[in-house]
Amino acid sequence: MIDFENVSKVYPNGTVALDGLNLHIDDGEFVFIVGASGAGKSTLMKLLLREEKVTSGSLRVDEFELSKLSNYKVPYYRRRLGVVFQDFRLFQNKSVAENVSFAMRAIGEPAKLIRRRVPAILNVVGLQDKAKNFPRELSGGEQQRVAMARALANNPGLIIADEPTGNLDPMLSLEIMNLLIRINKSKNKTVIVITHEKNLVDHFQQRVVTLNDGHIVDDRVGGMFG
Amino acid sequence: MRRYSLTYLIGQSFKGLWRNGVMSVASILVLLSCLIVMGTFGLIIYNLNDNLASLGDLNSITVFIDMEKTDEEIQSIGESISRLSNVKNVEYISKAEAFERQKAIYEEEYPYFFQGVDETIYPASYVITCDDNAHFEELRLELEKMKDQGVSKVRYLADAAETLESIKNGVIYIFTWFMAILFFVSLFVIINTIKLAVSYRKQEISIMRYVGATNWFIMLPFIFEGILIGIISSVSAFFIQMYLYGFIESSFLAEYNIRLVHILPFDNVKYIVLGAFLAIGIFTGIVGSSISLRKNLKA
Ligand SMILES: Nc1ncnc2c1ncn2[C@@H]1O[C@H](COP(=O)(O)OP(=O)(O)OP(=O)(O)O)[C@@H](O)[C@H]1O
Ligand SMILES: [Mg+2]
Repeated sequence: MIDFENVSKVYPNGTVALDGLNLHIDDGEFVFIVGASGAGKSTLMKLLLREEKVTSGSLRVDEFELSKLSNYKVPYYRRRLGVVFQDFRLFQNKSVAENVSFAMRAIGEPAKLIRRRVPAILNVVGLQDKAKNFPRELSGGEQQRVAMARALANNPGLIIADEPTGNLDPMLSLEIMNLLIRINKSKNKTVIVITHEKNLVDHFQQRVVTLNDGHIVDDRVGGMFG
Repeated sequence: MRRYSLTYLIGQSFKGLWRNGVMSVASILVLLSCLIVMGTFGLIIYNLNDNLASLGDLNSITVFIDMEKTDEEIQSIGESISRLSNVKNVEYISKAEAFERQKAIYEEEYPYFFQGVDETIYPASYVITCDDNAHFEELRLELEKMKDQGVSKVRYLADAAETLESIKNGVIYIFTWFMAILFFVSLFVIINTIKLAVSYRKQEISIMRYVGATNWFIMLPFIFEGILIGIISSVSAFFIQMYLYGFIESSFLAEYNIRLVHILPFDNVKYIVLGAFLAIGIFTGIVGSSISLRKNLKA
């Protein structure tokens, strides 16, 4: 459960990125966030990641009130989230399996669990045969799937992806979106996808939230652009 | 903490040290030099202190008694000297003893001088050592006052101990400043080494944050790296110090035959030296890495 209540975000330089935002997302929902450049989409994601703090209003994710969350609790909150970025952010000097296990090691999971879980996750994203490969040996779509496997590694309830297909050509984009939908449906995870790609949004017929100038100007189920 | 995490942390800190090659070696060398300079000063002071203690009798005062005093009178003068404050020891040297001592020293060179004379030409004397060299002067003045009771002359050696004392203070003064400077240089180099290690792992740190690694988990490998620098530096410094000390003790002193000073065995202090090195080395490592991580500590 995600609840934005009258959330505003003003950056230190005075830019108002979000202005009195109200948005509710239930567990297990799939939501596209769309909008022009500078509309505030990435800011919304940064607030959810608690990379940035809300300037005013209240933002709840499950039992966490992010406007009041103290710094030392942030890591435990973030274990509920999986993040995917446009630029993948993989370690070039680590194999596919190591990139995934890194996320588990980072929160101190025992080696035994890591050994068991990494192949299972790679299976979910269809990369079970590439475990030992390095990112440079993979296509863009495969690299993004590694990033998704890493996001899934600690079994988060919420996946947030900021333009996950921004660096991919249309076929691979479709593949990644399909994977995100599948993760949403079969694993019952909440998935938030920020994107610019009209045809994908129209194709999947999911909930679409449109931002403009820090405001929600549209919130509906189905195609947004057509 | 889980055992796995601990091995992970230690593994990471070793890796970091290795990846940071040149900087790690630089910080180890600087810290090591700092420790050796400190150890050398410390050992000099330690030896000076000991030598000062044995040089203490340089600060003795010899009181000569009027020639015509009787044995009883001499004895009562001795008793009143013993009653003065700050008197540690009073040694009586009779006329006969004085005569024998002088004869032993000079007879060979001036044999005719001792012909036809006996002990009566020498005055009896008391050799007084004081408890506290700082109040040496007061005791000397007290003894000077006894001239109307049969003391003919108060003789004392130049304030050798005082000179040595001030040398020691000078050494300590230089040592303190040198130490402070070296400590800050070590700290500075370690701070930069760890900063480099952090920047090397910027991407890792950022991903670790996203997946919910705690600050401690992110920072500990760097702190461990600092500690590792401290441990490697202090243990190597210890062995170099031990070698240096042995070298000075055996070859240098033997060659120049410096008899005036004696050198204490390193074994007496080796655990103290090692302990101090480790304590300072590890402390510097922790402080250095903590300082360079300070701004990374926010979520
Ligand atoms: N760290 C920052 N400091 C100051 N202003 C910022 C910062 N980050 C974003 N902004 C501003 O806030 C507004 C919203 O930015 P945001 O990145 O959320 O937009 P976006 O919808 O993600 O755009 P895009 O589609 O181009 O990624 C913009 O005007 C941007 O310039
Ligand atoms: Mg953006």
